[in-house]
Amino acid sequence: MIVDSFFTINSIMIKKLIFLFSLAIALSSCGGDDDDEVITADDMQDDSRAVQIDPEKINGLIESFPSPIEMAATIEDLKVPYSKKYLVPTEVAGDFDSNFEKALGLGMLSADLGYLNVYARKNAIVEYLTSIKRMADALDVDQFFEFQTLKRLATSSNDLDSLMTLSVMSYHDMDEHLRKTRRSSLSALMITGVWIEGQYLACKVNQFKSDKSTEEIIAGQKEILSGLLDVLTFFDDKPRFKTMNQQFKDLLKLYDKVEIKLIEGEDKITYDQDSIPLIEPGEHTDIIYTEEDLKNIENKIIQIRNNLISL
Amino acid sequence: MKKIAILIAVTSFFIFASGEKAQAQCKQQRVYHCARKGGNAIYLRDFNTKLKAVRSERSINGTKWPVVLNRGTRYRFILCTPSGFGNDVKLTLFDSKHPETRPWNSTEKSGGNMFDFICKRSGVYYVSIRFKQGKGKRKTCAVGILSFVGKNQ
Repeated sequence: MIVDSFFTINSIMIKKLIFLFSLAIALSSCGGDDDDEVITADDMQDDSRAVQIDPEKINGLIESFPSPIEMAATIEDLKVPYSKKYLVPTEVAGDFDSNFEKALGLGMLSADLGYLNVYARKNAIVEYLTSIKRMADALDVDQFFEFQTLKRLATSSNDLDSLMTLSVMSYHDMDEHLRKTRRSSLSALMITGVWIEGQYLACKVNQFKSDKSTEEIIAGQKEILSGLLDVLTFFDDKPRFKTMNQQFKDLLKLYDKVEIKLIEGEDKITYDQDSIPLIEPGEHTDIIYTEEDLKNIENKIIQIRNNLISL
Repeated sequence: MKKIAILIAVTSFFIFASGEKAQAQCKQQRVYHCARKGGNAIYLRDFNTKLKAVRSERSINGTKWPVVLNRGTRYRFILCTPSGFGNDVKLTLFDSKHPETRPWNSTEKSGGNMFDFICKRSGVYYVSIRFKQGKGKRKTCAVGILSFVGKNQ
């Protein structure tokens, strides 16, 4: 009898333990791949309109945007000399107060970090990593920014490829986390920061030494800017977005004069020395613009970027 | 006994609460190793997916992602799968004019785990990772990598 009740009590306890353990797993699994996470009141307020409209659509558009390193890699590939004066000064970034400014700054500095990475400027890399870390902390995405590893790679390693790869991966993880936690407006600001800083770099490079490839990079952004505005206008009901979006709408008007012609052609498949297949579409676009059109677009991009960092 | 139960519950909560970061680190390792296969190409972004076994046409087979590509750039697409699954999965590049059934290219079409693409029109393209032939008996995971090879001047 005593033994029976002992087993009964123990089995109740074991059931309780199993229940508590399962509860802990269930709670923790909310941070998994597919589930939404806990949303703070601030976040809900920050992203409420987006959630009402279509978060899937916004997130898809945001996700499609180019990586923070792409423009820098393009510029470096064109053999343009390095210049730190093109970048957002870290002292200026230190003055970004609101989440709006920090998310925008996080995008801009990530593009600048990409630029420093491709030009292998180790000292400046640490300075920009520190600034990015500060913003990531404030936006509560610092857990995805591998600051110590990146700093170690920048200071005591010659493996700059790893530094470059890990810093871009950190950027994508931070961006993904913002979207998962329903802070798409901050994610939209990050891609805006990356895009405008990339274009600003291209404009400054083109002003330094004009080149057909750089010109076409700037003039060829019509469709991409239009996509960016599709994202940003979701947040038009927020006063700060509305003011910023108007500047991008004015820029898009300047692109009206740029004509993009689609030319048909035959696709080519070749193999390089490593036997990697290379697909070269026959169908291509011709970008038609005047020198004046380009100058107006460049001036507007520089103006918007400078306005944004002096918020 | 009650104290032990609470202790286990609290400990397990803290262990699993850090799960997201651990998961991110695990994902980072997979992506990092796959990105390194691109040689000198610069990693731009990744496409990470878990593929559930697909036994009927009604099952969801894989994932697709939109991706903006820039005109005049040579990109590299790489597919990495766990050993033993390489022949079951494909990565496909397509757009609205060249739909997934008639894509720009795929690892299946080009017969390897990577291919290069010179973008001749800036805009939105799509990358998908799916089981070949629409079916896969065993669940698996796959990582796709997009990297920058250079400007095609």
